[in-house]
Amino acid sequence: MTSEVPPDVGRLMRWRAPLVWLSLLMLLAAGMAWLTPLFHWVEPGARQVIYPHGDFLVLLGRHLLVVSVASLLAVLLGVGAAVLVTRPAGRDFLPLVAQFASMGQTFPPVAVLALAVPVLGFGTWPIIVALLLYGLLPIVRNTLAGLEGLEAGVMEAARGMGMSASQRLLQVELPLAAPVILAGIRTSVTVNIATAALGATVGASNLGAPIISGIVNGNTAYVLQGAVLIGLLALCVDSAFERLQRGLGHPGR
Amino acid sequence: MIELFEVTKRFGAETAVDGISLRVESGELCALVGTSGCGKSTTLRMINRLIEHDGGEIHLDGRPVREFDEQALRRRIGYAIQSTGLFPHWTVARNIGLVPRLLKWPATRVRARVEELMALLGLPLEQFADKYPHQLSGGQAQRVGVARALAADPDILLMDEPFGALDPITRESLQAELRDLQARLNKTIVFVTHDMDEALALADRLVVMRAGRIVQQGTPLSLLRDPADDFVASLLGGEDRGLKEAAITPVSERMQPLSPRLLPKARVHQSASLRQALSVMFREQADRLAVVDDEDMAVGELSLRRLVEGRRDE
Ligand SMILES: Nc1ncnc2c1ncn2[C@@H]1O[C@H](COP(=O)(O)OP(=O)(O)OP(=O)(O)O)[C@@H](O)[C@H]1O
Ligand SMILES: [Mg+2]
Repeated sequence: MTSEVPPDVGRLMRWRAPLVWLSLLMLLAAGMAWLTPLFHWVEPGARQVIYPHGDFLVLLGRHLLVVSVASLLAVLLGVGAAVLVTRPAGRDFLPLVAQFASMGQTFPPVAVLALAVPVLGFGTWPIIVALLLYGLLPIVRNTLAGLEGLEAGVMEAARGMGMSASQRLLQVELPLAAPVILAGIRTSVTVNIATAALGATVGASNLGAPIISGIVNGNTAYVLQGAVLIGLLALCVDSAFERLQRGLGHPGR
Repeated sequence: MIELFEVTKRFGAETAVDGISLRVESGELCALVGTSGCGKSTTLRMINRLIEHDGGEIHLDGRPVREFDEQALRRRIGYAIQSTGLFPHWTVARNIGLVPRLLKWPATRVRARVEELMALLGLPLEQFADKYPHQLSGGQAQRVGVARALAADPDILLMDEPFGALDPITRESLQAELRDLQARLNKTIVFVTHDMDEALALADRLVVMRAGRIVQQGTPLSLLRDPADDFVASLLGGEDRGLKEAAITPVSERMQPLSPRLLPKARVHQSASLRQALSVMFREQADRLAVVDDEDMAVGELSLRRLVEGRRDE
């Protein structure tokens, strides 16, 4: 008999924070109706206090899907672009890419939505495009910082030892820049979880829908329901990223 | 054998290396010295093509380096730098095994080689194999850097201030290791250093550079005795040149057979330098020393006069 924690349990323990947030989120999304008395107290005048136009689990799923697709595209594009412009062949485009990414962030997502709707129509695509553009900057900026910030001696040695460009990128540059890149992805994803709510204004049904509907109908309870779920989702994802970042911190750091 | 013919490198308007010609024979240790910014590192990096030369030719065993595949060329040339450039996310063992792995050696052979090198450089396996670079002292990290450079058993080694920023004792022991390595493994080494004593002690050929050109080259002794100009003379130590020469001349070269006279009490080992012998004389206020071997048996004697003037009858 040993008092040691089995490795699986130990690993699970380290994911405690995200798991707690996740269970809270799922519980609330599945059982919002149990809180009916609470929301009656929040919004005493209203007949209907639980957002009626859609299951919260479905809204949550759609919300997550939109953010995932947008973030995945942003990571592919952002990391890809940053890697390309730090290669000798792409150096010339570095200022351009850095500028474009920072423009993406200064451009308000609402404006992107407004511009995207005529082109892409109502629904999910405009918000994905808006989130993609909005989420690019932190990823590009951090990937650039991570790749440019590598110790010159390490890079010189990597070349001097005869590593090919792809070996250097995959075995040295990306692993060493990974924590910085991941921090950028974390910022991008968490911000986009909140920003995705805007999609409800152009017909994407996600956790933003109760909020928009609540604002339109003057029903604070709806707003609250959407906001709390979005908040919990953000906390859950953010703490998962934190865990991931720490897992990435190899003992050599 | 490494040959440079009229090699030139320009960075923009600045000429970093200006038509230098140099020949380093197989098994020779060539030290590049000169003031900061004179083009030593640039010269070194042109040999393994980290920097491409603009003019002239660089040959490796008679073949232009440009004809080699870049990666293949570097994998057969060991490279060690002052900042070590160890990969911080890899263990010591993995760092050392880098080039053998790039050359696709089987894993067991890589492991055996890493163990061999760690032993060679005085890094006990159990203690260091799984450490990360940030857990090493400066001297240990530089040993690992040298081990990594030696890993694939290259016959050519380029070293850019590999022992810089080390305390004198660690530095000396690494120098001794390098000399030993070179003697045993017959490597061709090009070595950059700012430490003139290090250069004089290690080099078979000493190359003095200034503003991208070679001012003088030759054996350490020939340069010490006959510097081409004031710059070389002062770089080599100015008025200290005599002592520097004494420092690289062993006592055994000047000692004389034991005379019937009474053996002096003050003694010096036969492998010590004349400089050390001088120091003993100074300290013991003696003008004659007994020269002893490892068993402390007298094998000869050395007088101050002989020490100072012995060159005359060489
Ligand atoms: N990549 C580069 N781009 C532009 N100029 C360079 C580059 N590398 C070196 N130089 C210039 O070339 C000259 C020679 O540099 P090098 O590094 O060879 O000097 P060094 O003799 O090694 O000096 P130190 O002893 O300080 O290391 C310097 O004037 C330096 O500024
Ligand atoms: Mg240098």
